[in-house]
Amino acid sequence: MIAALGLVVGIVLGILLQPSVPLALQPYLPIAVVAALDATFGALRAYLDGVFDDRVFFVSFLSNVVIAALIVYLGDRLGVGNQLSTGVVVVLGIRIFTNVAAIRRHIFHA
Amino acid sequence: MTAPRVRARPSARAASPDGTYDLLRRLRDEALDSDYAHAANRSTVQNRPRRSAAVGAAVLVALGVLLGLAAVQSEQEQPADQRERAAVLAQIEQRQEQIQDQTATLQGLRASVAGLQGDVQTLGLQGADLLDSVAEARRLTGAAPVQGPGMRITVNDAQDAGKTQGGTVLDADLQVLVNGLWQAGAEAISVNGQRIGPLTAIRTAGQAVNVNFEPLQPPYVLDVVGDPQTLQARFSETAAGQSWFDLQTNYGIRFEMATASALTLPAVPAARLRLHEAQATTGATP
Repeated sequence: MIAALGLVVGIVLGILLQPSVPLALQPYLPIAVVAALDATFGALRAYLDGVFDDRVFFVSFLSNVVIAALIVYLGDRLGVGNQLSTGVVVVLGIRIFTNVAAIRRHIFHA
Repeated sequence: MTAPRVRARPSARAASPDGTYDLLRRLRDEALDSDYAHAANRSTVQNRPRRSAAVGAAVLVALGVLLGLAAVQSEQEQPADQRERAAVLAQIEQRQEQIQDQTATLQGLRASVAGLQGDVQTLGLQGADLLDSVAEARRLTGAAPVQGPGMRITVNDAQDAGKTQGGTVLDADLQVLVNGLWQAGAEAISVNGQRIGPLTAIRTAGQAVNVNFEPLQPPYVLDVVGDPQTLQARFSETAAGQSWFDLQTNYGIRFEMATASALTLPAVPAARLRLHEAQATTGATP
């Protein structure tokens, strides 16, 4: 309950305050969002598995976001930014799908 | 609700049927961070109490902020795209108007080119007319040689010119003859090959008659271009004809007139064609 409230508060804060993202970081925002979603769904699954640990969630969230952005940044420097973005999205997408499928099995037992 | 449930999942390396390293399968099997398993293990071992939900909530706030930012950013980029498209469309319209303008200009220029070509043709015809006029004027003034039908008149001193007085052809006699021929309709006259031009004088200098400053010796052969049918008759009706009839009868000066079908007369010598003082008048030429 508190978690859902936190999510809503965060969204409202982001939209209302609109903190200006530095122009240099703007290309990495979408990939950071995908990485954050991956960490969050992983945490939800862990919670349902009964192994949730908020410290692990915190660390995995931060590291996912930073590493995904770093990989894309590196790709941009090397001139293969688009390809690396695609790779990151594919990997994270597979993880998200797998975790969401596990969550679904927990909730609906199917 | 224990760690072994998580660990029970088959390992990727082991599950690969052909023993190769299966990346996608491993990705799927390890979708959940193994840290959770470690943490769960440790917590069961150390019996560490779970932390409050505040940390998780804070992380979710961060996620929410990220999502909100991404949404706001894509919202902001959309109008930019639309503005760009509108600008491109405006440019297209502008260019099309330019093309229309230039097409109209092109048509106008084509029309004027056609008009100018017509002018060129007209001017070419006028130029040909002018060249014709110039050529005619040159023939008329003796600046160009001419040919045509006419008469050949041969005059000579009397047989006994040395004995009786007046048996010699004088410059005045030749002047009268040439004037009479002009009167009778002659168009070009030469005396012993000296064309009579506007500045030509016939006068006696020393012992000889000079035409175009060239001394001539009798007999004097006058080539006259004109209508052979009428030239002779009209000449005999003039005062000059009468005068020459008298010269023949009274002084025995010889005069022979014969028609010629093709005479060629040279041009007046260039020295007798130069104008030094006469200027063109600014008025309209007749």
